Amino acid sequence: MTSNSSALSFFHRNEFLIRRLHSLSGLVPVGAYMCVHLITNASLLAGASVFQNNVFTIHSIPFLPLVEWAFIFGPILFHAAVGVWIAQTGKSNVQQYRYTHNRRYSWQRMTGYIAIIFIFTHVFHLHGWFHMDWWLKSVAEPLGMAQFRPYNAASSLADAMNDFGGIVWPIFYLVGVLACTFHLANGIWTAGITWGLWLTPKSQNRASVFCAIFGVFIGAAGIASLVAVKTTDSKAAKVIEDEMYKVRVEGHMVKPDDHKRTDGHQHKEERKPEPVAAP
Amino acid sequence: MMGNRVLVVGGGLAGLAATMKLAELGVSVDLLSLTPVKRSHSVCAQGGINSVNDLTRQQGDDEWQHFDDTIYGGDFLQNQPPVKEMAYWAPKVIDLMDRLGVTFNRTPEGFIDRRRFGGTLYKRTAFAGATTGQQLLYALDEQVRRYESEGLVKKYEFWDFLGPVLDDNGRCVGAVAQDMVSMQIRSFAADAVIVATGGNGLVFGRSTMSVFCTGSAASRCFQAGAKLGNPEFIQVHPTAIPGADKLRLMSESARGEGGRVWVPRKPNDSRYPKEIPQNERYYFLEERFPKYGNLVPRDIATREIFNICVNEGLSVDPTRMSVYLDLTHIPRAELDRKLGGILEIYEKFQGVDPREEPMKIFPAVHYSMGGLWVDYEASSSGGLLPGSPQNQVTNIPGLYALGECDYQYHGANRLGANSLLSCIFSGLFVAPGIVNLMKNNKAASDLPKSIFEKAVAVQESRHKALLANQSGDENPYLLHQELGDTMTRAATVVRDNAQLDEAYAKVLDLQARSKKCSLSDTGSWTNQNVIFTKAVQDMFPVSLSILRGARMRDESRGAHYKPAFSPPSLKSTDPAERLREAEAWCDDFEANNKKFLNSTICTWDGTEPVHSFEPIDTRLLAPRPRLYGLVGAEAIEQVWKERSASAKAKPESKQLVSAGT
Amino acid sequence: MIAPGSEAPKRKPSKINVRVLRQDGPGLPQYWERHQVDYEPDMNVISVLQKIAAQAKTSDGKKVSPVAWDCGCLEEVCGSCTMVINGRVRQSCSALVDRLVEDNPEEIELQPMTKFPVLRDLMIDRSRLFHNLKRVKAWVPVDGSYDMGAGPRISRADQEQNYPLSQCMSCGCCLEACPQFTKIELQRQPGETDESYDLRKKEAYDQGFIGAHAISQAMLFNAHPVGKNIADERMEALTGTGGIAACGNAQNCVAVCPKEIPLTTSIARAGRAATVYSFRKFFDR
Repeated sequence: MTSNSSALSFFHRNEFLIRRLHSLSGLVPVGAYMCVHLITNASLLAGASVFQNNVFTIHSIPFLPLVEWAFIFGPILFHAAVGVWIAQTGKSNVQQYRYTHNRRYSWQRMTGYIAIIFIFTHVFHLHGWFHMDWWLKSVAEPLGMAQFRPYNAASSLADAMNDFGGIVWPIFYLVGVLACTFHLANGIWTAGITWGLWLTPKSQNRASVFCAIFGVFIGAAGIASLVAVKTTDSKAAKVIEDEMYKVRVEGHMVKPDDHKRTDGHQHKEERKPEPVAAP
Repeated sequence: MMGNRVLVVGGGLAGLAATMKLAELGVSVDLLSLTPVKRSHSVCAQGGINSVNDLTRQQGDDEWQHFDDTIYGGDFLQNQPPVKEMAYWAPKVIDLMDRLGVTFNRTPEGFIDRRRFGGTLYKRTAFAGATTGQQLLYALDEQVRRYESEGLVKKYEFWDFLGPVLDDNGRCVGAVAQDMVSMQIRSFAADAVIVATGGNGLVFGRSTMSVFCTGSAASRCFQAGAKLGNPEFIQVHPTAIPGADKLRLMSESARGEGGRVWVPRKPNDSRYPKEIPQNERYYFLEERFPKYGNLVPRDIATREIFNICVNEGLSVDPTRMSVYLDLTHIPRAELDRKLGGILEIYEKFQGVDPREEPMKIFPAVHYSMGGLWVDYEASSSGGLLPGSPQNQVTNIPGLYALGECDYQYHGANRLGANSLLSCIFSGLFVAPGIVNLMKNNKAASDLPKSIFEKAVAVQESRHKALLANQSGDENPYLLHQELGDTMTRAATVVRDNAQLDEAYAKVLDLQARSKKCSLSDTGSWTNQNVIFTKAVQDMFPVSLSILRGARMRDESRGAHYKPAFSPPSLKSTDPAERLREAEAWCDDFEANNKKFLNSTICTWDGTEPVHSFEPIDTRLLAPRPRLYGLVGAEAIEQVWKERSASAKAKPESKQLVSAGT
Repeated sequence: MIAPGSEAPKRKPSKINVRVLRQDGPGLPQYWERHQVDYEPDMNVISVLQKIAAQAKTSDGKKVSPVAWDCGCLEEVCGSCTMVINGRVRQSCSALVDRLVEDNPEEIELQPMTKFPVLRDLMIDRSRLFHNLKRVKAWVPVDGSYDMGAGPRISRADQEQNYPLSQCMSCGCCLEACPQFTKIELQRQPGETDESYDLRKKEAYDQGFIGAHAISQAMLFNAHPVGKNIADERMEALTGTGGIAACGNAQNCVAVCPKEIPLTTSIARAGRAATVYSFRKFFDR
């Protein structure tokens, strides 16, 4: 056996560990982060200042790029890569066996694919993935990407969503957020089975209800964020944000950082939207 | 033990028990089966497995009583030492199966729960829901799989046993078999061959048996020179669900758990069964057999149900003969716990919930008490000598038979829940004897190849001839149907000499026609057509033996019932006259036993069975009248007691009786 | 139909159309073939196939070899006769024609299972299913069969939990319906011996998903007082390649199981046990 198992692929040999890490990474940090992220975004409903305040808090984390990569992008990439592999190991048969759980199995995989496309585009669109100047200047920004400015959070967000007549991005985000929401809510349910939390059909049904409520809540947060962004007056918001920034810089609460501000960059209105950025 | 191999044919309870025990003793086993062994017909056994147990012991039961019930229930047609040994092993067998993980039902305190079965007054039957056979088989299957993964057992599943290979001295040194997928025919050298291939229900067309219970393996041994014992004793189970393709068993446990058999007193009563008031219901078994009630031995229950429908015209269904088997008075939860499996079968196939509505059942061919004749070596205490190679061996040295396909344990009628016991017991018990046999014999693998090549050539030419025969116009499926109809009419519940003669001639004719079968599939890959045709052809020697055995036995005994030769009930009401009648009855009984308390032996002369009788070893229990429900039973019993008391005064018979206790 | 007046008499067809997906041998192409048999009351798919075997003619009268299929007990306890009937995996013995024509009066469609290599027509090779029982050592590791007295005392509650699991008849329905259990079919190489071919199959099977039935059996024996003595060995198999982690929680297994075995409960239990086992393995060594 030993000579043979060494010939096995790495994935096969460590299948259990990899799959469990996949399950775990989906919950923590990816799932947990997604909750925080959507709830933070939803705080925009309470006004640009509340939202800006939250963003300041997040951006007060030291070594943020490192933290982002270690706890967010890394796990997402891992979860996505393993997820694609997992999806390849199965063959959906929902046409033949139209049971609810089987549909959920298929949807979990479909929403997984959607989530991958969505998250990659979304991070590129707002965050840009990397913050090296050459990347931003010669790749991301010419493509109309990397548009979010943490110290002009609401306004840059509102502007970013307004490309292509202000309808394409919101729909894209709506689909993406709902796919992620289903994927997370259903993923919590399957993780509960995988890790052995809920055992019997009865307890699994109860867990389903719980996960559904959770999903509705998170989905609502996502939709709320979108509504908030769409209803944000970006000019008015920018005024507030700049004022907040000024106060914080003066109060030594944030270090001045033009990279995180709209004004530190090329002004948005001067630039034509790039057609290639369509999702 | 190096180089020694045993071939086990059949992977039911008996075959697997033998395989497990042989492997445990370090013997390599080739296990050959028509089907993956886990799918063997033993899975269909439902009710349970009998043994004396701590509870019944305190009610006065013991192994001897179990032995006595088995012999009495079998109408004294068994050689007694094997039956005694089995009864004494029974508690050990159940302990073993318990240790192997069988999910027996439990009492609230955690002991194995027991239920009552037919032919006894004690709750001896351990059970796992209503799928006891399945559970027992799986436990053995698991142990055999364990030995398989250790390399001691090699399975050949989807292989058809074509016949034993005999050396020049007539010793069995292996077998020829055919891969049912690739159609390859090859020989297996073996120092002993165990045939544990079950019953022959398909001879009767539809029965409670699985489709592979054709009896062909036993028939092939018979045609190779092995003797058959008591072939005419076919158990017709009283309660089965009539069906188009199969008669599905409705276990005796349904009655063991309180199920009641009844018909409306009024013929053709079309009312819904639950609307018929109690006083208009005829609980005929309870009324006629107050002591045993619904749990009379199977042969009796079967005849009563048959009689109530055929002669008394009280069938509950005008189109299909049947009586009610009623469980509706038992709480649902209890039914589900103890009988779930069989109630689901009824519900699934009949579309009626038996917890709500009485089931409609009718007798069906179920079990063959007879089978390959096997030997035994008795111990000084009247049981079997452990480790003797004579135990379970057929008249062909080196060829053993176990389980339903032997004739050893059940006499003229098998008690419910004794078959699983006899299968496991004989499987476990035979192994040490085979190990001892192999100590003294030259290994079969060292024999000249020509012996095996010759045997393979015979089978290959049979196979090729069948495929090549395109001139005939007989359809094997239709021949089988005709055979089944003939056998069911002549050789089941009621037997009549004229009808048996007629059937014998008919079967001879069918046998001749079966030589002219032309196949619709002449291919050489997974050809089920040719496998089935061979099986049908090999049903005839067995069928003829059943008919011949039945014809020659002019008496009624257990499952073999000939009204023309049945002892009459006592008629007189006058006590003195009644006593005289009882005396005469007992005289007749003794005279009849002199003539017929013999095993039927059939051998095959190439075209027809040759019949003879062989005396029975009754060293432990003197035969006594079997009086369940007979009018005048008390008087006969009294006379008989007096007679046996005076017989007991003779010293030698006393010694024999006490030897066993 | 048997009970007079219990059902309103429905119009029954006089003929049954059957479409069978046939295959002459391993590696050969599959093809559909139409058959027609006379309707009789109380038929099941087995009796339909028996009629097809007896007549050996397609519906347009062409003489063909009989359709090959596997069956045994005909009362749904042996597990032989699994096939895909009208698109759904089930036992053909309990597939009653009257119900099938209620759903689709036009025809009955019979296909072999798709997750196992076809031997011929509706016959498939399910040896992988049994092999997977070896992977989880689905047996009680007793010392032997000598008389050692009774087994351990078992509570009624435990028996009632274990009995349903022990009813698994290895029919393979759970595997056929499982989107994560995919077909492994090897071709025999020219000149390959039986032994090396078997070994190659065994190695391939060892890497595939073990399946709901084997997971459930592992849980059955891990719950047995003596069976659990080798619980770690079973958990090693379940946490290995093709083990419990490959389950995708589609839960088709439990939906199609003819014995209604709580397979998903077994799977969740196995998940819990695997969690504990892997933590223990990691931290205890």
